[in-house]
Amino acid sequence: MREAVEIAVGGFFAGSVFALVAVGFTLVYSVMGVPNLAQGAFVVLGALAMYSLETRFHWPLAYAIVGSTAMAAAVGAAMERLVIRPALHRLPISGMLILMVGLLTFFEGASLIIWGSQPYSIPTFSGERPVAVAGVRIPTQGFWIIGVTAAIVVLLWYILTRTIFGKALRACAENPLAASLMGVQVPRMTLFSFAVGAAIGAIGGEVLGPITSIEFDTGRFFTNSGFIAFALGGMGSFFGAIVGGLGLGLVQQLTAGYISSLFSNTLTLVLLLAVLIWRPGGILGSSGARREDAREFIAHSAAPAVRVRGPAAWALALLGTITVGVLPLLLGRTGLTGSLVITGILFIGVLGLDLLMGYAGLVSLGHAGFMAVGGYTAAILATRYGLGPLAATGVGIALSLTVALVLSLVTARLRGLYLALATLAFGLLVDSVAVGLSSVTGGPSGLVGIPSFSVGGYTFASPISNYYFVWGLAGALLIVLANLARSGYGRALRATRADQTAARALGIQVPHYKVSVFLLSAALASLAGSLYAFYFHFLSPEMVSTSRSLEMITMLVLGGEGTLVGPLVGVALLTLLPAAFQPLSIYKTLVEGVFLVLILLYLPGGIFGGLLTALQRLGRALPRGPAVETAGRI
Amino acid sequence: MVNAIALEARGLSKSFGGVLAIADVSFSITEGSLTATIGPNGAGKTTLFNLLTNLYRPDAGSASCFGVDLAGFTPDAIAALGLVRTFQTARVFPGMTVLENVLVGAHLRLRARPWQQALWLRNVRREERAIRKKAEALLEIVGLADRRDDPAVSLPLGAQKLLDVIRALMATPRLLLLDEPAAGLNDFETAELARLLLAVRDAGVTLMVVEHNMSLVMGIADEVIVLDLGKVIATGSPAIVQANPRVIDAYLGREAEVV
Repeated sequence: MREAVEIAVGGFFAGSVFALVAVGFTLVYSVMGVPNLAQGAFVVLGALAMYSLETRFHWPLAYAIVGSTAMAAAVGAAMERLVIRPALHRLPISGMLILMVGLLTFFEGASLIIWGSQPYSIPTFSGERPVAVAGVRIPTQGFWIIGVTAAIVVLLWYILTRTIFGKALRACAENPLAASLMGVQVPRMTLFSFAVGAAIGAIGGEVLGPITSIEFDTGRFFTNSGFIAFALGGMGSFFGAIVGGLGLGLVQQLTAGYISSLFSNTLTLVLLLAVLIWRPGGILGSSGARREDAREFIAHSAAPAVRVRGPAAWALALLGTITVGVLPLLLGRTGLTGSLVITGILFIGVLGLDLLMGYAGLVSLGHAGFMAVGGYTAAILATRYGLGPLAATGVGIALSLTVALVLSLVTARLRGLYLALATLAFGLLVDSVAVGLSSVTGGPSGLVGIPSFSVGGYTFASPISNYYFVWGLAGALLIVLANLARSGYGRALRATRADQTAARALGIQVPHYKVSVFLLSAALASLAGSLYAFYFHFLSPEMVSTSRSLEMITMLVLGGEGTLVGPLVGVALLTLLPAAFQPLSIYKTLVEGVFLVLILLYLPGGIFGGLLTALQRLGRALPRGPAVETAGRI
Repeated sequence: MVNAIALEARGLSKSFGGVLAIADVSFSITEGSLTATIGPNGAGKTTLFNLLTNLYRPDAGSASCFGVDLAGFTPDAIAALGLVRTFQTARVFPGMTVLENVLVGAHLRLRARPWQQALWLRNVRREERAIRKKAEALLEIVGLADRRDDPAVSLPLGAQKLLDVIRALMATPRLLLLDEPAAGLNDFETAELARLLLAVRDAGVTLMVVEHNMSLVMGIADEVIVLDLGKVIATGSPAIVQANPRVIDAYLGREAEVV
């Protein structure tokens, strides 16, 4: 019994910090309608900055707390000014979500360079000796956590409900346009919500730091947990965020204590998926799927994607085919052929994502979850049950399709964010199951002894044979998808993305298309996951985790959404560059984040789109320019 | 030729928060005719369209299109029945070119299955060529042919409304509902639109047009339905309606500036 209480108390502490992160989410969501997925980074920033101030610069505790909190607030404000505000009028809501992902990646990369990859622990505020309350030992730091959380919650509650300022903030949440007409300075409110959200996150990190270990990428964990709490409690409700956070901490610790720490998130994620599906307003929320359409209709300057057609398309295709054909011969035994195989495999996954995001405008933040389903299913069936790799891959795809069908059917009636959030929850869930079910999946250390892919007696054992197999498959899929994209199916998807009501008035069965494109993209991700497992002969949860999902989005945006060929540029860059420049790998995360943010803001067509536009301008400038005819579409 | 009923409304009613927007509206439209729906602002014209296409669910009454009761049909299923509509504000698809916008309109007419599209089979190629040819012909008619590859949102508003109309025509509707197609058009464009609408009617498409522009309405309509405060106050040929004292009182009297 005492043990249970001690575990519960521990859960309460962790839950307090989750609640703080969720409150940060809520603040930003209230004003902007998008949860700030970079929120978890501020927890890490607060804790690590505090560690540096205290141990490196020997600041006293109080100064260090104030200093690191102020630092986080300043970073939050700068982020709002430099990135969020310029983006608000350029990006649709799904783009904002991805922008946040870019910022989270950026912060992780920056932390990695500043603080390195080792875990840190801050000294406790008031000694290491726990206090015994009714026989239950409680670390004194716990009182700090609870005290600080309570103080912040009370203060925020007072500001939001009892002051004019709070009223203005809530007005922004209800209707930003009306609020601005009433004289509320909406930009100032956005700035405030980001700075304060960052400060609250940082304080969470500072008080939790002493009883946990924090490293550069712990932010992802806090973002995930804070997001779960935020969504469980009903997006946008402060009270819900706090209850959600505390509940999450409690369930997490109890699961860890009594079942397995590997499963700590599984239960809550199942609960979260159920909530997103059946009660999109959250357990406590009553408002349901509020204000989805209101925000969706912010006119974003959606220029049609530049397309290659006619002779230029044939030239590009020929060039691509020749390059793919001779590249391994040129590379010889440099080992880069292996990286090229991985490039091809990931390209297959990102192709599906492009159809989903670039054409239909739906966001999946958990696409690697389908890679995991495909990879693990195929690997387990092939290693344990001796099923042929081809059949095993097929079973994986069937399973992915089933999951995708359920996810998309229940979210199809909700717009915008809900599919993104449900897929995020799904990706996290698959991740936690892969870690937790160690007897089946090999757990965190991975599944070994997966055979090579083989078809009808031929085994793809060498990198070279894999290379031609994967790239042949990727090329065939590219052609098939490009055909779909340029005919009625692709047009229906793009019309759906642009204006659902107008699309339906022309007879387009919008839900049908949303579901089918999601299924298609899930199947491709699943296929990529299976190939990945067969190629590596090994599969671990981190190879197909949420980080992978976010990386796939980065690749897509980097290369150019809605072009199918473009993502290849992104995949190749992010796969080959780190392989070619191993010593610089510490900068990889930072560069990824910076690129993602910059491209979202300044190069909406991605690298490929930007290149084509430049060529097009060149073609116009020259009297009878090169045979690049880029406008329009076949 | 026996003139069948293309569209029939029986006692349609809809209120928003106690305000009666449409009250017991009944009418029928003969196949092959061009019917104009007029009425002062707030008379319920757009609400009527939204009820007919099931964007709103009526509080009472029903509507049928070519004898099929529309209750329970989704907006896209209604379009599949042959009833296609445009909207009061231009709703071109952003992110698509002018030509692509028009091609979307042909969605209902495509027979090729997605797997055939993926393989770019001969029937797909034939179909794509056919709709492209038709789209280009329509663009030629409304004078947008030289802007076919521009982003649709870059067109002036009047041209966007014309684009909406020809996009709807690509669906080869049996019954076309146009919500203020002439709003935002200059006199020249309005005259072009009038010619286009008459040509569409002569091609056998039944038209129902909500319009403010009285000279356009009186010039081309076979039948006029006058709405005021959610009720039908007059129906008949333009000449009869124009002579109706209730119409003059309710509509022309109040909005003297309408040309």
